[in-house]
Amino acid sequence: MFGFNGSLSRRQLLRSTGAGFGMLALSALLADEAPAVTSDSDDTSDLPIEQHMHHAARAKRCIFLFLPGGPSQVDTFDPKPHLTRDNGKPLPFNRPQLGVQRTGNLLASPWKFKKHGASGIDVVELLPHIAGSVDDLCVIRSMVADNVNHTGAALQMNTGEQTFSRPCLGSWLTYGLGSENHNLPGFVVISPQSVFQGSQLWSSSFLPAEYQGTWVRDLNNPIANLHDPAGNMTRQRDKLDLLRRLNELHEQKRVVDSQLEARIASFELAYRMQRNAPETFSINDESDATKKLYGLDDPTTETFGKQCLMARRLVEAGVRFVQVYDSATTGPRWDHHNKLKEELPSRCANVDRPIAGLLADLKGRGLLDDTLVVCGGEFGRTPMAQNVDGRDHHPFGFTMFLAGGGVKGGHIHGATDEYGFHAVQDKVHVHDLHATILHLMGIDHERLTYRYSGRDYRLTDVYGRVVKEIIA
Amino acid sequence: MMNTRCIAIASVLYLSMTASLARGGGPQEMAVDEFFEKQIRPIFVEKCQSCHGEKKARSGFRLLSRDLVLTGGDYGPGAVPGKPEESLIIEAVEYLGDLQMPPEGKLSDGEIARLKKWVAIGLPWPTHDEPANASTKSALTKSEDTAIGQQELWWSFRPVQRPDVPSVKNAAWPRSDIDRFILAELEAHGITPAEPAERRTLIRRATFDLTGLPPRTEEIEAFLNDESPEAFAKVVDHLLASTAYGERWARHWLDIARYADSIQGGNKEEGQSEKFELYEAYKYRDWVVTSLNRDLPFDQFIVHQIAGDLLPKPDGEEVNSDGLIATGFLANGAWDYAEGDKKKVVADIVDDQIDVVGKGFLGLTLSCARCHDHKFDPITHEDYYALAGIFYSTHVVTDLGLDGGPITRLREPLVPAEYVKKQQKEAQKLLGLERKIGQLTAQLFARSSEAGAIAERVVLSDPDGALVKLCREHETLAKEALPPPPLAMAVGEGGTLQSLFPKIQDVPVHLRGSYARLGKVVPRRFPTVLAGEHQSPITKGSGRLELAQWIASKDNPLTARVIVNRLWQHHFGEGIVRTPNNFGKHGDPPSHPALLDWLATRFIDDGWSLKTMHRRIMLSAVYQQASAVSVESLALDVANRWFGRMNAQRLDAEEIRDALLSAARSLNRGLVGGPATVDVREPRRSLYVQTARRDRSNLLVLFDAANPDLSTEARPVSTVVPQALFFLNDSFVWQQARRISQQLEGAVPDQLARIDEAYRRLFGRPAHDEEVRLATAFFDHAKAKGNKVGWVDYLHALLCSNEFVYID
Repeated sequence: MFGFNGSLSRRQLLRSTGAGFGMLALSALLADEAPAVTSDSDDTSDLPIEQHMHHAARAKRCIFLFLPGGPSQVDTFDPKPHLTRDNGKPLPFNRPQLGVQRTGNLLASPWKFKKHGASGIDVVELLPHIAGSVDDLCVIRSMVADNVNHTGAALQMNTGEQTFSRPCLGSWLTYGLGSENHNLPGFVVISPQSVFQGSQLWSSSFLPAEYQGTWVRDLNNPIANLHDPAGNMTRQRDKLDLLRRLNELHEQKRVVDSQLEARIASFELAYRMQRNAPETFSINDESDATKKLYGLDDPTTETFGKQCLMARRLVEAGVRFVQVYDSATTGPRWDHHNKLKEELPSRCANVDRPIAGLLADLKGRGLLDDTLVVCGGEFGRTPMAQNVDGRDHHPFGFTMFLAGGGVKGGHIHGATDEYGFHAVQDKVHVHDLHATILHLMGIDHERLTYRYSGRDYRLTDVYGRVVKEIIA
Repeated sequence: MMNTRCIAIASVLYLSMTASLARGGGPQEMAVDEFFEKQIRPIFVEKCQSCHGEKKARSGFRLLSRDLVLTGGDYGPGAVPGKPEESLIIEAVEYLGDLQMPPEGKLSDGEIARLKKWVAIGLPWPTHDEPANASTKSALTKSEDTAIGQQELWWSFRPVQRPDVPSVKNAAWPRSDIDRFILAELEAHGITPAEPAERRTLIRRATFDLTGLPPRTEEIEAFLNDESPEAFAKVVDHLLASTAYGERWARHWLDIARYADSIQGGNKEEGQSEKFELYEAYKYRDWVVTSLNRDLPFDQFIVHQIAGDLLPKPDGEEVNSDGLIATGFLANGAWDYAEGDKKKVVADIVDDQIDVVGKGFLGLTLSCARCHDHKFDPITHEDYYALAGIFYSTHVVTDLGLDGGPITRLREPLVPAEYVKKQQKEAQKLLGLERKIGQLTAQLFARSSEAGAIAERVVLSDPDGALVKLCREHETLAKEALPPPPLAMAVGEGGTLQSLFPKIQDVPVHLRGSYARLGKVVPRRFPTVLAGEHQSPITKGSGRLELAQWIASKDNPLTARVIVNRLWQHHFGEGIVRTPNNFGKHGDPPSHPALLDWLATRFIDDGWSLKTMHRRIMLSAVYQQASAVSVESLALDVANRWFGRMNAQRLDAEEIRDALLSAARSLNRGLVGGPATVDVREPRRSLYVQTARRDRSNLLVLFDAANPDLSTEARPVSTVVPQALFFLNDSFVWQQARRISQQLEGAVPDQLARIDEAYRRLFGRPAHDEEVRLATAFFDHAKAKGNKVGWVDYLHALLCSNEFVYID
C-alpha cells in the first residue's frame, strides 16, 4: 500500500523490536546485520566486534575437545604416590553421599608418570605426544562438578544446568559475540556419533535457534544441503536472480521489514556458503606433513585427527566455537568401569597425537595465542577400584587442561587430596570454568544475560568465579 | 550435662574453661577467648566470612556470632553445641554431603579438627562482637529479599473485572466491542487504524490461522463471490468445523505442554524394551486434537489434563480412557530418566509438573520457588512444597530402578481390570506352553538317532504325538487369546514407590531445593496469594482434582486471562501480554488490561468455548486490518503495541512444510492421528512428524519448531542460512516444484495462463503484469541457455520467495 524507505532505519527497527536481547548481543547483531545490506561484501560493519565486548578479549575463538565418559585423573595428569602406597586399602575417609557408589578399595595407577618440559609437569606415559606440548598446557587438577551421571554431568559441562534445558556455552558465545565469518555457522559440533543426550548438549534452548550448534556427523558431508543437487551453479544463479526480483516486487508493496530483508540476504549468503564452506570443511588440501601431524596416517588416530584438523580449519576461517567429541567408537569411550588397563591405553592412543598435533599446528600458525583450547570430560574417575579393574564416575576432583587463548602455559592449578579424591586446593567448579572461558573471550559472565520467561538468565546462573590465577 | 558431654570430646586443655562459657568474666574465659581468637576466628575471617559475613549472607547464613551460628540459615541450624557429628558446619567442612564448604577447597585436617573441637566445647564466642539484632536470622529479611510481604496485589492476581466498553470518536470503524477497546487506545495515541485487508489476503490469513494450511482455490473463489454481509463469518465457521482446525491449534498447545513423541527418536515399536520411552504419547496428542475439534470447554480441558484419571467414567464406557490419556500432559515431562540419583529424579518430575501447570494454565513461573521464595512474585517456598505435596502424592513411574536399572514409566491399560487379568493369564499359559514345546523338542531331538532335517528328526522320534498335541493346543489358545491391552501414558494416584514420599502425603520444604535437607512439613494447598490463608484441607486423594478444579474456576484470576491472551497471541502474532507464560512481575504488563478482562469474562460467559472466542476475535475490525500502514502510523508504533495494523507473520515450521506439500497437492489430509511419522517425506501433516527430545535435527527444528524440553510460550523466528540452503538444495522442495510443474503442464497449456495459475495456486491471487513479464523473460533466458527445466526452476523460485512463507 505504501512504499517505505527512509525515516526508520533497520537499526532503529532492530532496536525497537529487539527488546529481548542482551546489549552485547544486540550490538553484535547490529554489526552483523550490516553486510546483509550489501550482499557481496564481507565486511562493512561500522563497529568492530571488539567494541561489543565487556573487556579486551584474550581469545577470539575456542576449541573444546570433549572426552565423553569421564577420563581418569589419577591415570593421566594427577599422579598420586599415596594411592600407589596404599593400593588395595580402603579409602581412609568417608565418601560423600551423592548417588550410588559401588566401589571397593584404592587402586593404584598401573602406569608411570614422568615430568616433562621446562615446567616439569607430570604426564602419564600413555600420552607421550601431549607430554611434548606440556609447556603450553594449563592443567587444572581441581575441577569439580555436581552430578555423578553422564547425562546430568555432560549437560552441566555444556550448559551449567544438570536437568533442564538451558543454552550451552557455544550458544552463549555466539549469542554474545556473533560469528567472525558470515559464510559459516558460528558454532560447530564435530561428533561422528551422538553422545549421551545428543543435541540437547549443543542446544540454544531458549536463545534463538540460530545460536544452536551445527552438528557435523559425517566428516565427508559436513553440512546438509550444501550442494545443488543438479550441480549446475549457473542455473542456480539464474534462479537466485529471479528470486531476488520476485522478492523485490513483493517488498515494494509492503512496510519495510528487517525479516524480509534478512531472508533475501540469507539466500545470497547461502549461495556464497556453497562456494566457501566445502573448502573450509575439507581437509584434503592439507599438506601430507600436516595430515601426519594429526595422525591421519594411522587408523588409530585417523578419525579424531580429522576432527581436530577440521576444527583448526574452522577456527582459522572464523568460526567462534568448535566442539570436538571423541565419539567415533561405540562402547564405553572414556567410561572405564572395567578393563581400565586395556581400554585407557587405547583411548589415549586415539587422541594423543591428534591433540598434540592440533596444539602444535595452532602454534605454528600463530593461532594459539588467541585460540583457547579446552580439553576434558564431564567428570573424572574414582581413585578406588570398581569391579576388578575399573573406576567409577567421580565429580569431586578431576583434571581438565586449557591451552592458548591467554592462559598460563606450563602451569598447574589446584590440587586434589593425596588420593586424588577431593579437590582440596583452588577448586574450580564447572561454573568457574565457564566464567573463565567467557572472560577470556571478552565477556563478563554476570553481564551476558537473556530475558526468558520473566527472568534474566546467564550461563553461570547465580554462580561462577573467573579463575584469574590461570590467566597469563 | 554439658560438662559431661564435653569431657568425652574436648581436650584436657579446655576442660576447665567450659563451665563458664556463656556467662562471661574470669580468667578461664580469657583462655577460651584466646582459643577462639587464635584458632577459630582466623578460619572464619579467611575462609568463610566473604560469603557469610557482614556484607553477604549466602544461604541466609552469617558466621558473626554464636547465636547466628545456632540459628543458622536456609539449611537449618549451623551447629548443635557439643555435638560436632550432628553439626551442619562440620558436615560441610568435612565435605561429606552435597554441602561442601568452603567451596573453593577443603580446609586442612588441622583446621577441621579445631572447628570440631570448638563445636564440642559448645561454640564459645567472645560476647563483645555480638551484633545488636543477633537473634534475627539475617539482615536480609524475607520482605527485602523476595516478593513476599509486599502490600499491593499485582494486576494479574486481582479478580477479573467486567469492564465498561470505552466510547470512541470514530464510531464507523468498530465492528465489535473488541474494536472499541482497541480504537480507544489508538485514538489516545493518535494512530489511525490500517485499511481493511483485501479479501484474498483475509481468507489466506484466516485459513492459515485456523488450520495451518493455505486456502484452496475454490474456497477463495467462493468467498470472493459471496456478497452477503456474513461472508467472512461463514468462512470462519467453515474453518472452525474442519479437522484441520484441531490439528493446527493442538500444535500451539503442544508447544506449551512441552510435548514430545519420543526420547531417542527413530522407529520404536510399542513393547520394546526401553522402559522410559514415550510409546503412547501420541494418544495424548490425538486427544488434544479431538478435544479442540469438539470444542471441549476449556475448564474441562484443564481438569482432564491435571486430574483426568480421577474423573468418573463417562456413561456407557467401561474405562475412563480420555481422562487417563489426557494426563499425558503431566507424564510426558522433560526430566532426565538416566539420572542415577533417583531421589533427584522424583523431585525433578514434580518440578517439571509444577512448572508446566504453572506456566501453562496460570502464567506463573512457580518453579522459581523450588529453592527459595520467588524473587519477584508473591509465591513462597512453602507455597511450592504445598503444591509439590500434591504431585509427590502422584506417580508417573512404577519402578525407579534403584538397583541401577532403568526407570519404568506408568502405562495404564485402557480396558477393564478383568480384561487385563484374563489377558495376563492367557499370556502366561501361552508362555508355559511355549516352554514345554521347547523342552520337549529338545528332548526329542536329543533322543533321535537318525540323520535328516531337524523337524523330521523331531517328529519321527515322537510316535505318540505329544508334541503335535501341544502345538495344536498352543495354536488354538493363541487364536482365542485376548490381544495385549491398549495402554496410555498417564499418571496415577499415590506417591512413587521406593521414593522418599511413597504414599499420599504432605511433604516437607526442601531447603535450598535439596531433598537431603528437609524442613517443616507443609500441608497440601494452593498458593496463598491466590487462594487465601483459609483453604479447606485436602483430605482425600492427592489433591490433584481439587487443584484442577481450583485452576479451572471462573474465580481464578489468572486462568481465563492466560488462555484468551494465548488465542489473541496466535491470531495477531503478539499477545496483549507479550509474555504468555508469565503474568508475574517480570512478565510484560498487558497493553490493553480492560480488553483482556473483557475477553476473559466473555470467555467464561460463553462456557469456556474456544471456538466462540476465535469467532469473536476474527470478526472484529482489528483482526481484519491490512498489515501495511502509512509511514506516520508506523513511526508512532513501530512495535505495533496498539494493534493499529495486522502483524505480517512468517509461517511456522509445520505450516511451511504443509504449505509445500499442499502446493503440489501432495498432502494427504486424511492421515489423521496415530503414532508419529519418522520420515519427513511422508505426505502427512507436520503435526504428525516425530518430535524427539534427543534428536533435534529435522527440518521442523530448522524452522524454529518448539524445543520439547521447555514449555514454549512463543516461537522465535530465525532467518539463517541453513534454511535458505534447505529451500535451494533439498530435494524435498525441488520435488514439490517438479510435481506442480507436471500438474500445470497437463492442465494449462498456454504459458501466460499457466503463470497466472501458478500464482493462484501458490499465493491465492492472480499474477500482476510485471510478474508475468518477469516470468516470460526468465523462460526466454532459460530457453536461450538450453535449460529444459525452466518451468521447474521458475516454480522452485516461487516456492523460495518471501511471499510463499509470509502472511500479510
